[in-house]
Amino acid sequence: MNPQIYELGDSALTIEFGNEISESLHEEVIRRFYQFQSDPLPGTLDLIPAYASLTIVFDLGKVASRFQGLAGMKSLIEEKLAESFSAVIPEGRLHEIPCIYEGPDLATVAKSCELSEMEVIQIHSKKEYHVFFLGFLPGFAYMGMTDERITVSRKDKPASIQAGDIGLAGNQTGIYPSASPGGWQIIGRTNQIPHFKPGDRVRFIPVKA
Amino acid sequence: MKLIKKGLLDTWISLPIYGLQHEGIPPGGAMDTFSLQIANALVGNDLYDKALEMHFPAGVYQFETSTLLAICGANFSACVDNVEVPMNQPIKVPAGAILSCKKPVSGQRVYIAAKPLTDEQVSRVKILPWSMNPENVFTDEPIRILCGREWDQIKACSQQLFLSKEFSISPTSNRMGYQLNQEPMKTVSSSTMLSTAVTAGTIQLLPSGQLVVLMAGHQTTGGYPRFAHVISADMPRLAQKGPGDSLRFTLTDPTLAEYEWILEQNYLQQVRNVCALKLDQHRIDHR
Repeated sequence: MNPQIYELGDSALTIEFGNEISESLHEEVIRRFYQFQSDPLPGTLDLIPAYASLTIVFDLGKVASRFQGLAGMKSLIEEKLAESFSAVIPEGRLHEIPCIYEGPDLATVAKSCELSEMEVIQIHSKKEYHVFFLGFLPGFAYMGMTDERITVSRKDKPASIQAGDIGLAGNQTGIYPSASPGGWQIIGRTNQIPHFKPGDRVRFIPVKA
Repeated sequence: MKLIKKGLLDTWISLPIYGLQHEGIPPGGAMDTFSLQIANALVGNDLYDKALEMHFPAGVYQFETSTLLAICGANFSACVDNVEVPMNQPIKVPAGAILSCKKPVSGQRVYIAAKPLTDEQVSRVKILPWSMNPENVFTDEPIRILCGREWDQIKACSQQLFLSKEFSISPTSNRMGYQLNQEPMKTVSSSTMLSTAVTAGTIQLLPSGQLVVLMAGHQTTGGYPRFAHVISADMPRLAQKGPGDSLRFTLTDPTLAEYEWILEQNYLQQVRNVCALKLDQHRIDHR
């Protein structure tokens, strides 16, 4: 599928590479992130990678007065996407994170998945996760994909969550870097929150409190 | 400036700071960037400098040195030593003077730009004889929007409703987002989308059919449909509205959005230049 480029308001463009969570699609997002970072378009303020999209935020004054606005930037992006490039893509690091599986929602998760708490812990800690992107809170990494046996929905109403809490939502998992209201189901906690980068890998190691 | 009594939400704040959104760190910055810049211009600061953003009830502050001061944005009946002082006008205040805000008259956020006067001892409050009356921050013109990627996820009748009806801002609104009081929008499909970037001004469609306009304190990404976007030039005006205030939306196009933004930036630059010239003429060092 050819990437689609669309306006996100009057000062940003989103390049959409697809519409699913997959590591191969995400690899393309990250490749392009480093391409646009190493050789930025004029007026670039921010590059925001997500699961399957990359958004470029522009200085509207600059691109509107000198580059025919977002329409002009759109053609520049198209040219860049067609170009071959050789951006250096840092290799993802593996983070091993000790996890105390005593979260307040562990029982609820086990029940809704028709598993024992021990099975939830085994399933969650068995898999190596991929860091897709950072968002929601400073330093919050969206990781996936979790085993489908522990797929859970978000809470109806956000609850109060502590720094270091480890949660599940859909087929994603993540660590809250700071206290915040949140809708994820909290199954454990850690005191180790590394500085994640997209493309990093994560493994949770069960430990005793 | 020394804090005497804390306000509801006082922050020294600048224009948004970009470049870290890939780390999940939002640009933040002042809600009403226009008033922030006018205040900065009036005291000879750079437009992007920090100023004090306050909500009502606002904090009480004491000046530790002779200071050049400007008050812009919301009208909270700002007083120096209990005497009301004009807005949008540079004011010299002596060391020890106390700034307070008496009552909310209009707007949601006041901006105080302050510059210490290093080579001048001010003995009493002196209002300098020029003002910049910032146009448009409080007009009741409709807020202009662009269609979002998921605009078509609501039915035509709801789109019509959105563009014709008056909305009020819900009491649950804050610096992160304004929730609108409205009949739920009727959606065409409930297809889920992947989390992706959002910006200040993005209007999200919640599963309940409610709408939320993301404001300066927004997060970097979101997973709700992006129904529409408020144009950048109209964000300061929206930022001065608050819970209970009413507003209307009207559709515009990207060319006009860009044009209005450039107009606003040029105006601010002119104000900056005129103010610098006036300060020079009055031999006030503002470098």
